[in-house]
Amino acid sequence: MATASYPPPPPYYRLYKDYSENPNSAPQPPPPIEGTYVCFGGNYTTEDVLPSLEEQGVPQLYPKDSNVDYKKELRSLNRELQLHILELADVLVERPSQYAKRIGEISSIFKNLHHLLNSLRPHQARATLIHIMELQIQQRKQAVEDIKRRREEAQRLLKDAFVTLDGQ
Amino acid sequence: MDIISQLQEQVNTIAAITFNAFGTLQRDAPPVQLSPNYPEPPATITTATDDASAFPEQPKQLSVGLVKAAKQFDALVSALPLSEGGEEAQLKRIAELQVENDFIGQELQKQLEAAEKELKQVQELFGQAADNCLNMKNPE
Repeated sequence: MATASYPPPPPYYRLYKDYSENPNSAPQPPPPIEGTYVCFGGNYTTEDVLPSLEEQGVPQLYPKDSNVDYKKELRSLNRELQLHILELADVLVERPSQYAKRIGEISSIFKNLHHLLNSLRPHQARATLIHIMELQIQQRKQAVEDIKRRREEAQRLLKDAFVTLDGQ
Repeated sequence: MDIISQLQEQVNTIAAITFNAFGTLQRDAPPVQLSPNYPEPPATITTATDDASAFPEQPKQLSVGLVKAAKQFDALVSALPLSEGGEEAQLKRIAELQVENDFIGQELQKQLEAAEKELKQVQELFGQAADNCLNMKNPE
């Protein structure tokens, strides 16, 4: 039973027959999609926002503030993690049947850690942008200086040639 | 690798060490005597030699690994280049840089246009001079 291996290309190609002569005779490409869209049966969104912890059902262990001190919170979460691991070791020795709660707490600490690190990414993106722009400004200044220098040199050469020709 | 990815890797490493530690200890632990009434099982020769010598070392090694990983995480956190001022300060700096970038871009454009104009003039004059040279009759 022969089945088609690939679907045929969309039939729009016929509209671009005269594209080489007149680029405006063919339709424009579709504008970029905004909002949510469906692709191969899955829903995707164009807005990339880090979902907050409450939406994922995880308790937030660091204070919810607009300006969180990342270093302090990361260090204190690390301490808490070590403590909980020790508690887990204790519980496994003394009361082995109560491990589930401890494991839940440890995994919530890990989720908080990763969430904090992910929320640092926009800051990193902005810092990268600042760095690139500073580099670009420096390169442009360098190019302006170069062009000025070359023009002056060219003027000087022309003057010298003029003087030489005049002197003859 | 950038520092945030390193931090994320370090968190995953700590998790891996933790569950490997508990898993190994659970798998390799010698059996515990439940009550003094039950006799100790006769220890076989093969298990007695390698387990009994290596086993007490395992929790030490694993805990050393865990503490090292935690210290590494702390060191990475201290190395985070977090500038104070947060989002608004960064956005303000980006706006300033954009203005400066536009200004210097315009200046670059002006210089470039002037240089190209001069280049064209020089090329034209050079062409004329070369033509005159070719067509020039010998000066008498």
